[in-house]
Formats: sequence, structure tokens, C-alpha cells
Amino acid sequence: MRVLLVEDESKVARFIARGLTEERYAVDTAADGTSGVELATTYHYDIVILDLMLPGLNGTEVLRQIRRKDTSVPVLVLSARDALDDKVGHMELGADDYLTKPFALAELLVRVKVLLRRGPVNRASSLRVGDLELDRITQQVKRGGRRVELTGKEYSLLEYLMANAGRVISRSMIIEHVWDQSFDGASGIVDVYLGRLRSKIDQPFEQKLIRTVRGVGYSISNGDS
Amino acid sequence: MNIRSLRFCLTAWYAGLLVCVVALFGTAVYFGLERYLEKTVRAALSEQARAVGEEINEQITENRFPSLVKHLNEKFAPHLNARFIRVTDASGTAVYLSKLSSDGLLDPSLVPRVHPEGEEYSTEVFLPNGKRVLVQVVPFSVSGKKYIIEAGSLYAPLEAVLDGLIAIFALGLPVLAAVAIGGGYFLMRRALIQVDEITIQAERISSDNLSARLPVPATGDELERLTLALNRMMSRLEDAFQHINRFSADVSHELRTPLTILRGELEALVHHEDLSPGLLDQIGSALEETERLRTIIDQLLVISRLDAGDVLQKVPLDLGRLALSTAEQMQVVAEEKSIKLSYSAEPGIQVEGDPSRLKQVVVNLLDNAIRYTSEGGSIFVSAGRRNGSAVLTVADNGTGIPPEALSHVFERFYRADKARSRYSGGAGLGLSIVNAICTAHRGEIEVSSAEGVGTTMTVLLPLAKN
Repeated sequence: MRVLLVEDESKVARFIARGLTEERYAVDTAADGTSGVELATTYHYDIVILDLMLPGLNGTEVLRQIRRKDTSVPVLVLSARDALDDKVGHMELGADDYLTKPFALAELLVRVKVLLRRGPVNRASSLRVGDLELDRITQQVKRGGRRVELTGKEYSLLEYLMANAGRVISRSMIIEHVWDQSFDGASGIVDVYLGRLRSKIDQPFEQKLIRTVRGVGYSISNGDS
Repeated sequence: MNIRSLRFCLTAWYAGLLVCVVALFGTAVYFGLERYLEKTVRAALSEQARAVGEEINEQITENRFPSLVKHLNEKFAPHLNARFIRVTDASGTAVYLSKLSSDGLLDPSLVPRVHPEGEEYSTEVFLPNGKRVLVQVVPFSVSGKKYIIEAGSLYAPLEAVLDGLIAIFALGLPVLAAVAIGGGYFLMRRALIQVDEITIQAERISSDNLSARLPVPATGDELERLTLALNRMMSRLEDAFQHINRFSADVSHELRTPLTILRGELEALVHHEDLSPGLLDQIGSALEETERLRTIIDQLLVISRLDAGDVLQKVPLDLGRLALSTAEQMQVVAEEKSIKLSYSAEPGIQVEGDPSRLKQVVVNLLDNAIRYTSEGGSIFVSAGRRNGSAVLTVADNGTGIPPEALSHVFERFYRADKARSRYSGGAGLGLSIVNAICTAHRGEIEVSSAEGVGTTMTVLLPLAKN
């Protein structure tokens, strides 16, 4: 998979590129709008990650020119602005997703994966991590073959974690996906639900699946992976 | 009555000046009239004295001197006109003396004698009874013999006329002053009504509608200038306001990029396999701080956008239902601290609002209540109507807010208890956001609190019209 990263801040470009490379993507970086358009229209990329604030040609114009040549390549827009109309405007211009700075690298990777339609985010009817099973159709959860009763929110939270198994998911990502932006002011709610989920999923068992990564978030994994 | 008001001052000046002018005018009239009357009386006296002289001359020439007294009494009858006439010869003997006046006030025999030298002259004397008498002294000679004719008249009739004038002024001046005050007050009120109108219009302008301007009256006077000056001032305020808003938005945006880098670098470190747990913990702590920075930047941006009049996605919604469903979702967080969270709402409280913003109000208020209520406490959320407004209250029996902090709780970054709230992890912006959202909905928020008893936050929103 080949990624074009158009980002003028070299440090931002570096850590994104590093993260993507670790995920075995091939990354080309353009530091300004003009070279971004040049690369995007010359080579074939599977996805373009585009910063909006660029010297020379700005991101909006780059997006317009890319879309003129190639209507199919997914474009993920990065911006330091999060005004709603800004977001809507770029979606209308043909951006496929929009991520506001500062973001967790994990979230960027999740979104890239979604845009590329591959990996565990696809709508498989059941998810599995170790001996933990989640059936999306019956909305049933089993661990070691035994039914675990979960409330609606607990189920949504577990599903989101399991769909991104092995990745560290930040609190704000969880809030955005499981609740909504209104709950941003009450991040304690995530910890409370995580605690409950743990007591049901992990506490009775020796192998703990849910892991806290301090300062980053939570991840669910089989331990050995 | 407000004695410092413009209306009072101007009316007082106006009435005072008018009274002064009228009083001066009255004084001038009084003295003028007095002079005129005295002059007229003296002219008459002088004329009469001469006429008496002519008569004496005639009588002496015709040698009828003995009947002179009777003749003069008959001809001039001075006693009937409240006058006196005395004719004295060179030796000082009175040749003629008129009789006691008919009203008995002027007794000619009591009038002191004046001895003039040469020409006619005017004088005045006082009788023993205190009466003032104007006297005209006319020297006269008949066939070499010198006589002095004195003609006099009481001053009292003149005084009566002058007293009448004073009476008219004394009665007229208060009436005039009253009319002046009343009229001046009324006229000032009419003039100031326009100022009042400008004031009412100006009061309607707040930070929410700073782009509004006052209607300018095309009067070409102070009022027009005042309105124009106010409008210009509001333009400057609007500019400053926008500048501040733009500034905080720009700052928030500018901070995001370095924060992204910081976070990305730290996150990359966390994924290294060979880090000691202590180091991981330190990096985690740094990451937590970047997350807090992000939250602050986001919240500042939200506030500055709300302040800048960012368009809300307003739809009709049921405030009670929104409050209940949100409280329900926060129930778990309360339970975790063994806090009893209960809620109730009247049905069908329709307001026009942005659902996600109003939800944020409930979340932030509840988050705050849970944070400042100790284990085993209770929180009550209710929605209802009061005085034509939709009312949302969040009441807790927590630690409460000290009275000196009460007026500051909606200020940005204000913390009632710095040590504890920092430990609880809030950014100090939650209530500012609530306040900004309420204002953007043309509502308001009130807080009442007693330390150790609890806090009640009350949000008032306008009900939807239908």
C-alpha cells in the first residue's frame, strides 16, 4: 500500500511516516502543495493524507486539483481547524475523512485502515480476541465459552475496542465513537465503563485482555501479540 | 426629585433667571413710576403756587387785599384737595394759610416753615404725625414787596399707587415662577425623551449583537452627534471584540501543530518494547498533560466560537427529555462514587436549541456536581417551567462554593478550590462553556451555594414559541 503524505511540518510528517512505515505502508512525503499535486497526479497512491495549511498551494486547492485528475483516491484531511463548516466544506470538495490536530497516531492509523477498507474494521459478523468472542448479529459476548452479560454502552465500548484489537485507543476516540462530543467534558465516564467492562471480562480470568497504556488509552489484545 | 439631574438644573436656571429679570424690571418700573409721579405732583404744585401768586398780584392791584384769604380759599380750595398753601411776606408773617384738609391729615399750621434764598425750589418735610409732605417753594414779588408761596401735598396718594404696583408684582412673581418651572420642566422632558430613546436602544446592545447600531435622528444637533459618537464607539468595540475572538481562535489553532508533534513523538516512544516501567510511566504522564492541553485548547476554541456568535444548529427539542437521557447516561459515573443521582422532568418543555450543545450543558453541570460531591451524597436534576422560561436545575449536597468565589465560577480558568479541583483533573473551563452556551441560546445561568450544604445551578432558557 502506498501513501502520499502532504505535510509541511517536518516533525509531524516524520512521526506520521514512521507510524505508517511500522504498519508496512510505503510512504512518500511532500512538504508543499505544489509538489504534493505533482506527486499525486504522477503516481498512483492508495491514499493521500493531506494537511490543509501548506505553503504555496494551500490544502484546499491541492484537494481540488487532485480530484480533477483522480476521483477515486481516498483523501484524509488533517487540519488545525475544527470549525464544522470547514469540515463540511472539505467533505464536499471530495475529502473522505477529516482529522483534527492534535490527534493520536492510533486514530490516524485506524482511519487510514477504514479508508483502505481492510483489516479488522471490516464488518465481520463476529470478532475474536483470545478466548473472547463478540457476535455482532446477536450482540452476544462470550469468554471461554461462557456468556457475559453487558449493558448497551458496555457492548458498544467492547465492540469498538475489539474492532481495533491490538491498537491503543484514546479516550477521546472512545468518546467520539461510543458517546458523542457532548461528553468530552466528562472523560471520567470512559474510565468508569472501562472499569465495569474489566470486572466482567477480565476479573474472573487469569489472562487479562484489556490493557491501559498510560496517557494514551486502552487496548484489547491477546497478550502475546 | 433628583436635584443633580439635567432637567432639574436647567429648569432651575431657567426659572431663576426669569424671576431675576422680572424682579429687576419691576424695580426699574417702581422707581421710574415714583419719579414720574413726584415730578407730576411737583409740577402741579408749582403751577398752583404761581396761580396763587398771580391772584394775589391781581387782588393787591385792585386793592382787595382784606378779602384775599377768603378769595383764595374759594378759588383754590386747597383743603378739599388735600393740599396746603401758605403765603408769607418778607417779615415772615403768614399772609395766607389754607385750612385743615378735609380728611384731617394735613394741618397746614403744623408744616414747618422753609426759608429759601432766591429761586423756586423743591423740598419735602415731615409733619409731627409722621406724614411726608412734598413742598414746592416759589418766591414772588408784588409791586416791590416780596412774598414766599409754599404749595404742598401729602405723599400718601403716591405711596398708594406704588404699593399697588408692589402688590401686583408680589402676587404675579410666584405665579410667573410657577409657570416658568412647570413649562421649563415640561419642555426639558420633551427634549430629553429623545435621549431616553437613545438610551433604551443602546441598552439593547450587548456582546451578542454588537453589530447592531442606533437609529440616527437627522436633527443636526447634539443628539445626532451623540448617536453618531455612540455608533462609532460600538464599531470600535466590535472590532476589539472580534480581534480578541480571532486572537484566541488563532492561538488555539497555532498551538495544535506543536501539540500534535509532541504527542506523536511521545506515543512513538510508548510503543518501544525495551522501555523500563518507570520511563513508560513518565512518558504516560507527559502524554496525559498533552491530552489536557488539547482539552483546554478545544474548550477555548468552543468558547471563542460561541462568543463570536457561531451559528448554532437550532432545532425544537424537549429539554426535559434531553436532560433525563443525559442524566441517565451519567448515572454510572455517579454510582461509581456512590452518589445517588435522581431526576425528574415536566413533560413537553419545548425549547429552540442546539441538541449537542445543550447536552453538553447537562454533562458539564453533572460532571461538576459529581466532582464536588463526596461519596454517599446525592444529586438531583430537574427540568420544568418558571415565569415563561424553561428551567433546568442541577442540585447537589456537596462541598458547596465559598461566597467570595460565587461570582467568579463562570470565569475562564477560575477554580474555587485550587488544590482539590486540579487533583480532580478539570481544566476550569467547564462552567465557562456552559455559560457561553446559555448566552448563545439567549438564556442565562444562576448559581446558589452554601459551603458544606451544596450547590444549585439553574439554567433558564426561553421557551419555544408556537
